[in-house]
Amino acid sequence: MIRLQGIEKSFGRHPMLKGIDLEIGTGEVVVILGPSGSGKTTLLRCLNFLEKPNAGRIRVGDYEVDCRTAGKKEIQQLRLRTAMVFQQYNLFRHKTALENVMEGLLVVRKLPKREAREQSVQLLEKVGLGGKLDAYPSQLSGGQQQRVGIARALALNPEVILFDEPTSALDPELVGEVLSVIRKIAKEGITMIVVTHEMGFAQDVANHVVFMDEGKVVEEGHPNRLFSSPKEERTRQFLKRITPDGVYSI
Amino acid sequence: MKLDPSFIWKAFVELLSVVPTTLLITVVSVACGLLIGTAIALIRTFRVPVLHPVAAAYVTFFRGTPMITHLLLIYFGMPLIVDGVSAFFGWPFRSSAIPMIAFALLSFSITAGAYASEVVRSGLIAVSKGQLEAAYSIGMTTPQALRRIVFPQAFAASLPNITQLFIGMLHGSTLAFAVSVVEINAKAQIVAATNWKFFDAYLAAALIFWGLTVLIERAAGLLERRIQLYNRGGVA
Ligand SMILES: Nc1ncnc2c1ncn2[C@@H]1O[C@H](COP(=O)(O)OP(=O)(O)OP(=O)(O)O)[C@@H](O)[C@H]1O
Ligand SMILES: [Mg+2]
Repeated sequence: MIRLQGIEKSFGRHPMLKGIDLEIGTGEVVVILGPSGSGKTTLLRCLNFLEKPNAGRIRVGDYEVDCRTAGKKEIQQLRLRTAMVFQQYNLFRHKTALENVMEGLLVVRKLPKREAREQSVQLLEKVGLGGKLDAYPSQLSGGQQQRVGIARALALNPEVILFDEPTSALDPELVGEVLSVIRKIAKEGITMIVVTHEMGFAQDVANHVVFMDEGKVVEEGHPNRLFSSPKEERTRQFLKRITPDGVYSI
Repeated sequence: MKLDPSFIWKAFVELLSVVPTTLLITVVSVACGLLIGTAIALIRTFRVPVLHPVAAAYVTFFRGTPMITHLLLIYFGMPLIVDGVSAFFGWPFRSSAIPMIAFALLSFSITAGAYASEVVRSGLIAVSKGQLEAAYSIGMTTPQALRRIVFPQAFAASLPNITQLFIGMLHGSTLAFAVSVVEINAKAQIVAATNWKFFDAYLAAALIFWGLTVLIERAAGLLERRIQLYNRGGVA
């Protein structure tokens, strides 16, 4: 279970997150929607302390931190329980696909090399890259790089995987391969929080949709409910804008 | 004027005997310089409080003054400090016991440190922030992320500049002459003192420096090709 309570974050004098409360059950696939600049990325980054929240509490599984007082050790504990898939992939450029996935197992989990290698090969096969073990990121397509990114995140067996627009840097014809990998792992019951503009994905895969605007959660609920009968005017307008007819077939 | 090939050869052979001195000064100053420079670059990149302005001052002073001046400041300043401290504690040690080459090694390391800090800093800047964030996201500590992810990429990015620093310090090592260290250039003058064939002697010195420089460039080229294997996106 993941629970956020009163998460606040400002950049200088500009409040970006104005008290976010959110509860996410184990195995849930959460999609976060919202207009540009509403704080979606900032929220994800606060969850693993790539940005330090100014206030609030974060609970991931059995571990809970008070953001105000969290020190190096607490942050480290939180990061061991979360993983992130980046919009720009951020694969380690000087390491092969296999080494990218192994890195966390070797350095953070301190597994013996053979074991780390075995697990990493399996994960890369799972994301369909069993034939690209020794390729460097610069030799892979965007879709392939992102799939390595997903394998790298899976490797540490986190309580939750955070996806920040995992397909928005991809050429349209590569979006499908990445989404289908995310779908596949969603079915295995891994908790994930996905920021995306892919409405089809949100409808098919999510079981919890969160709509954010101006640093707040405006509305949340099951996609069937939220898409067909949004309660808030702002949600309605946003949905209308990204799907002109405003009607969803489910 | 006539060239004397046999004397050039004789000088060349004699100069070879002090190549180790030149290489010692170069390698020590570049190695220490890279250590100092890495520390300085990290302090400046992470804006470590208190140390940050000190580091900035170090860099601007030593990059803003000639290498020979550093050597002379150390040469004349160090004995005052060493003898002062020695007297204060009642130690028998006197600065006259310090070998001349130590002044050159210390001074050139300090000089190289200032230059290397900029080399390392530009290497660090070349590593995108996303690399560090990815390392953090999988639970690495800052030292782990620096050692395993940031430094290897920064090193690869700064190799051409490190090579340049190496060559610069090789040529700069001739200044050690000013504190009576006999390196290649000083030896050339000594060799020529008997027959006044300075041109021939310095020509031999030039050939040796050239040869050493080409060797450094070759080695760097090989290393670059090995290290940059992953980097197919570069312009070069
Ligand atoms: N490090 C930072 N310093 C200052 N401002 C920042 C920083 N990071 C983000 N911001 C500001 O936060 C706002 C964007 O927040 P965020 O990236 O969380 O929005 P988003 O909902 O992810 O938007 P998008 O859909 O465009 O990705 C922008 O106005 C940006 O200027
Ligand atoms: Mg964003």
